[in-house]
Amino acid sequence: MTPTTAMSQPMAPSRPGGVKPPRPIDTLRAEWTKLRSVRSTPITLAVIAVMVVGLSGLITLAVVSNHRHGTKVTTDPVGILQSAWFLGLLAFMVLGVLVMTSEYSSGLIGPTLLATPKRLRVLSAKAVVFAVTALVVGEVVSFVNFFVSHAIASGYALFPDPALGDHNVLRAVIGMGIDAALAGLMGLALGGLLRSTAWSITAGVAITFVLPLIFNFLPSSWSNPLLEYWPTQAGSQLEEVTRQSHALTAWWGTGDLALFVLLLLVGAGYLLVERDA
Amino acid sequence: MIRVSHLTKRFGPQLAVDDLSFEVQPGVVTGFLGPNGAGKTTTMRLVLGLANPDKGTATINGSPYQRLRAPMREVGALLDAKSYHPGRKARDHLLALAQAGHIPSRRVGEVLDLVGLSDVAGRKAGTFSLGMAQRLGIAATLLGDPPILIFDEPVNGLDPEGIVWARTLMQSLARQGRTVFVSSHLMSEMALTATRVIVIGKGHLIADSTVDALVKGATSVVRLRTTMPEAVAPRLLAAGGSVQTTDDGALMVTGLEPSAIGDIAFYAQAPVHELSLLEASLEEAFMELTRDDVEYHARGDVSPGTGGPNGSQSPQASWPTGPATR
Repeated sequence: MTPTTAMSQPMAPSRPGGVKPPRPIDTLRAEWTKLRSVRSTPITLAVIAVMVVGLSGLITLAVVSNHRHGTKVTTDPVGILQSAWFLGLLAFMVLGVLVMTSEYSSGLIGPTLLATPKRLRVLSAKAVVFAVTALVVGEVVSFVNFFVSHAIASGYALFPDPALGDHNVLRAVIGMGIDAALAGLMGLALGGLLRSTAWSITAGVAITFVLPLIFNFLPSSWSNPLLEYWPTQAGSQLEEVTRQSHALTAWWGTGDLALFVLLLLVGAGYLLVERDA
Repeated sequence: MIRVSHLTKRFGPQLAVDDLSFEVQPGVVTGFLGPNGAGKTTTMRLVLGLANPDKGTATINGSPYQRLRAPMREVGALLDAKSYHPGRKARDHLLALAQAGHIPSRRVGEVLDLVGLSDVAGRKAGTFSLGMAQRLGIAATLLGDPPILIFDEPVNGLDPEGIVWARTLMQSLARQGRTVFVSSHLMSEMALTATRVIVIGKGHLIADSTVDALVKGATSVVRLRTTMPEAVAPRLLAAGGSVQTTDDGALMVTGLEPSAIGDIAFYAQAPVHELSLLEASLEEAFMELTRDDVEYHARGDVSPGTGGPNGSQSPQASWPTGPATR
């Protein structure tokens, strides 16, 4: 660290020929490096997996053993097998929030935007990299969850035994991974809009869990249409094997949620461009 | 070349940058001086497109930062040393930036060598001292080997060896023909590092000149010690000088060359015991220039020992003042 050693390294000669401008793929690679090079990312994902699979398994065991001598389980069988999935949604949302807000809390947003002044490109790259990661991990965890819980439940004869080949079962299991990615993107967009980790998580929890709960206390003439179109409620229809009353179909519901997330992302992009970094 | 033209930025009621215009030329280190809160960082953020100006423009080689085709290869900028994720290794931090700028990843190792951080490249940046953080920040600016470099308070937190290192690095970068723009509130540091200085206070331009001219232009004081001050002082005033007396009876003369003062004393037939030129430092020049522009005054901290260049003290007002005269 002495001046002599530092200066003995000659500067690279001035740029030869033309300058190669960075392309969108460069921004994607940079964002992937950022995501994978922070140890909290793999640790958080591993904790999500263990929590979701473990808790779902325990709940499955509790449900099926309670019904051993009683009536048949009639509710959504996949929903029971993966009953801790809401934890996964929550965790992916928080991770998505952190992808954005950690840039602001650490000050890294400065160097990030100096390297890539095209701010929408930065937001898009973050969204793509994180959505793909969340989707892949979400699907893996969802399938592992399904098979583990299924193995636990299969010993109990009265439990309706959902197989992947059954009507809508595969869609529900895949749908949980898709919802995880959408929850993550929602968190990322909220992080971009609010820039604060605490406020973004609060907003995400309010949208996903608290407001739908409050809607339930409203008169049904209000709560039914509200819950039908409320993005996170509509999106969760993809996870249901049987369509519920006052609910959009699985894919319309997913479209509703996706549109909501897209609007949040557009808002985040607008503010990212307009506001001082 | 960096060109700032009528740049204005307002934060609520506060005018952070006020119709600021200047140019930064290649080949020399240009210091950017001003008291804390003068708007140095805001100006740099405007130049770098991190903040949007309310009025005016800031361009780099003729185009705004956001329009640069390969920004990291044209400008390297360090605003805040600790602008990294504390949980990321130094090498990965630089790698992500290199990838974003389409810079080959081998360059990461080169700049780590250049700033002397190779041995700790695998450590989490959160464990770095402020001095190491500054080196990491400087390493990031050099990734694209850019012809323009902008550093905001780069020697903050560096130990004496690090300060010498940073100074040497900046000067060698300038000698290679690059544009080097360095902000500081430490005049003594800029006196050693910079060739040109741009001084701002309360967001507007106070001075844009070379360090030498700034020091020369600052009021230099001549101390005259004579047994007959009452005979010499009126003649000095008549010659256009400004005179104050010190407690020990010496005359502090501004506005006249030492040779002229010597001649005047000679014609007054006054024995001269001491005639010495007290040269102003850049520090004093700066204090003088920014006296009215420091954001937070400590009452009574500014010594009125020397008259300002803007004639804040007329000869009549400053003479006679001391008890030793009359």
